[in-house]
Amino acid sequence: EEEVLVQRVVKDITNALKRNPSIDEIGVIPCPEARYNRSPIVLVENKLGVESWCVKFLLPYVHNKLLLYRQRKHWLDREALVDITCTVLLLNPDFTTAWNVRKELVQSGVLNPEKDLYLGQLALTKFPKSPETWIHRRWVLQQVLGQSSAGDRRRRQQQRDEADAERSQQLSEHLARTLHQEMKVCSDAACRYPSNYNAWSHRIWVLQHMARGNIKVFYDELSSMRLWVSMHVSDHSGFHYRQFLLKELVSELSQSTASSTSSPQHRSSSVSSSSPVPFHNHANGELSGGEGGEDEEERQLSFITVLQLFHQEMELISDLIQSFPGHETLWSHRRHVFFLWHQW
Amino acid sequence: VKDVIIKPEAPNALLLDKHADYISAYGSKKDDYEYTLSEYLRMSGIYWGLTVMDLMAQLPRMNRQEIIDFIKACQHECGGVSASIGHDPHLLYTLSAVQILCLYDSVDAIDVDKVVEYIKGLQQEDGSFAGDKWGEIDTRFSFCAVATLALLGKMDTINVDKAVEFVLSCMNFDGGFGCRPGSESHAGQIYCCTGFLSLTGQLHQVNADLLGWWLCERQLPSGGLNGRPEKLPDVCYSWWVLASLKIIGRIHWIDKAKLRTFILACQDEETGGFADRPGDMVDPFHTLFGIAGLSLLGDEQIKPVNPVLCMPEDVLQRINLQPDLLS
Amino acid sequence: MKLYSLSILHKGATKANLLKAAYDLSSFSFFQRSSVQEFMTFTSALIVERTSQGSRASVKEQEYLCHVYVRNDSLGAVVIADNEYPQRVCFTLLDKVLDEFSRQVDSIDWPSGSPETINYKALDIHLSKYQNPREADAMTKVQAELDETKIILHNTMESLLERGEKLDDLVAKSEHLGNQSKAFYKTARKQN
Ligand SMILES: CC(C)=CCC/C(C)=C/CC/C(C)=C/CC/C(C)=C/COP(=O)(O)OP(=O)(O)O
Repeated sequence: EEEVLVQRVVKDITNALKRNPSIDEIGVIPCPEARYNRSPIVLVENKLGVESWCVKFLLPYVHNKLLLYRQRKHWLDREALVDITCTVLLLNPDFTTAWNVRKELVQSGVLNPEKDLYLGQLALTKFPKSPETWIHRRWVLQQVLGQSSAGDRRRRQQQRDEADAERSQQLSEHLARTLHQEMKVCSDAACRYPSNYNAWSHRIWVLQHMARGNIKVFYDELSSMRLWVSMHVSDHSGFHYRQFLLKELVSELSQSTASSTSSPQHRSSSVSSSSPVPFHNHANGELSGGEGGEDEEERQLSFITVLQLFHQEMELISDLIQSFPGHETLWSHRRHVFFLWHQW
Repeated sequence: VKDVIIKPEAPNALLLDKHADYISAYGSKKDDYEYTLSEYLRMSGIYWGLTVMDLMAQLPRMNRQEIIDFIKACQHECGGVSASIGHDPHLLYTLSAVQILCLYDSVDAIDVDKVVEYIKGLQQEDGSFAGDKWGEIDTRFSFCAVATLALLGKMDTINVDKAVEFVLSCMNFDGGFGCRPGSESHAGQIYCCTGFLSLTGQLHQVNADLLGWWLCERQLPSGGLNGRPEKLPDVCYSWWVLASLKIIGRIHWIDKAKLRTFILACQDEETGGFADRPGDMVDPFHTLFGIAGLSLLGDEQIKPVNPVLCMPEDVLQRINLQPDLLS
Repeated sequence: MKLYSLSILHKGATKANLLKAAYDLSSFSFFQRSSVQEFMTFTSALIVERTSQGSRASVKEQEYLCHVYVRNDSLGAVVIADNEYPQRVCFTLLDKVLDEFSRQVDSIDWPSGSPETINYKALDIHLSKYQNPREADAMTKVQAELDETKIILHNTMESLLERGEKLDDLVAKSEHLGNQSKAFYKTARKQN
């Protein structure tokens, strides 16, 4: 009887997710007892809830089923595996082996990587630090990157024709969207748990692997983080991320000007910048860059840009320290900015 | 300041018997929902439980044969060990398994050569280590790799120079270490990296004064230690921070008496065991790090613990392993 | 930094009476919001009941801070914030809403009023405007405006209670907390 119940609940969860692609949060509803003849799965305003009474049956059941499969004692078809791992991971996202089962499904082409990123995103709404969920995301993102760079290589070997150029354009737009989406997942998790180490170090990883050398992306991140850190003055991880961005920007800008426009192979599988002069006409107006012409002129410009970066950062941090006294995080950021400046 | 207040009625004496009862009863609740939830880390859970029992001289109360058989069943074809039966192998649980077998003086229960092959196969070109075949990189795994090899006396099978190079590339301007190059310093990662440098004989590469300063700033007015600036104190950080300070020879930079008060306040007088903070739910993880922390602080009711491997010193003496410490 | 709730209450002889409240619970997980809201209301009333007239206090409860001001005329206000939000700004906000409220709502209606009957609409706007204290233009005025009344600091809710009184009992007895909220309180208490 329990088995019938559980199987129905697993199906209810999968169906809810299938029918409502805009579900954006999961949660457990405190509810000690079952209500007669009603599914424990609730969907309100795009939030998927499980009543607490049934979790105690549900989880051990799907957990054991998956482990029996892993020990080859019980056969599950691919669809059942997708459903069961989904339920297991929404309830217990640090169950590494369940993610590994899904990795195998992705590799064999049964599971779309995007779907897996979405499952992780949902799990993070309830478990924003879950290390295994972040780890799995990095693996999936690498698959996505691998696919697109393989595409890139193929194209480079063939003659470039128009259709190719278009496809390549689509690919880089796809990567840009993935990158953007990933930043959003990181911010959400960072808002749900203060100084969320795994969320912020994931964000750094994403930039290192998907936007290497792309000054525009780094610059946009720096501006959009400005308000965030001002509203989270004790979030050491958020400020560390800002330090990372500053450091990368300063080092990119200080390298010979050539680096910002050349080395396409170095960027082949990451998001490429949309304009050759990366911080041209920046919306925020914090910075202004001219059209690149003479090398010397560009070097001058980069120099001024770096100076402005430091200047603006010092203004921000002085202002925050004055408005919000007594935060270790703010002082440690100030120290770090001085250190970067000194090093430059 | 983000901190906790220790209530006057909080426990201030060490309740060793209660803790031993708590740990020895823990494994008998195998049908519990909570037990299922944590199965993905079972091997480490057993290591925490056995180590804390050994530190309290209560190891004989645990079921040695059952545990050794369990570990055998968790070793996979590739040589790696998994958290539990049916789970996938990982460096984290390979280290825990080898630590347990050292406590029981029976590493030969598993295929040691295969363990060594497994670890060797996870080293990357840049010297870093993946946690398993899926390739996640983290300085935690660098530590797991060298700690396991050190316990097995097989350090020379990997490229140690490259491994050191990678860990040093994760050092930050504050003297601390993160999980990968560019990541924020974190007390847990610092423990892994200083432990790693100790085992590879490279402690001279840390800036001990700078790092020691960052570490001792983790102490809060309550006496407890946090793992990063402006986080709450947590008993497990009394281990990660204190052990790191011990490794780099700066343990006298914190207020030991106050830390002891904090750790003792995290005991549950009724159930036994330690929680992360006073009044929270206890678990074996915090129980080990509470007891191990008290041992580093010099409590004589507890066996001396090794700051690098978090194992009783007498066990390491037996296998002749004495990792470097700075003075 | 975050402001979660802002409420205005009348302190009666034994009970505090809720007159108006605004909430911003967007940072809580969806299925907990209704319980969290009930708890914030419950806590605000309790704090006003245990705070004497003409005094200000801040009460710490886990990662939250409840700031209260009860005026000599028994009108009180509570703002619940996280521990990043500057305390001084909270008290500026309390002064301001109490001032405005007492000008707009006749004091005859205070003892018996309820959120449904009281006509005062600005609370939501204040709550959202003050989310960013620097935009609320509050930082600059703070120093000048705040009077000399000392702010008492309580490190726990328990320190507001009388001897032998227990928070758990008060929660269990409360008519304003639903069963789901009581269940939520039990699970939320002992975990990390
Ligand atoms: C032999 C022993 C004792 C251990 C084995 C070696 C390992 C795996 C050590 C782990 C050390 C550790 C705790 C690393 C930190 C992991 C990490 C980055 C956690 C992020 O945590 P936060 O997001 O800061 O969470 P809290 O807020 O709960 O601290």
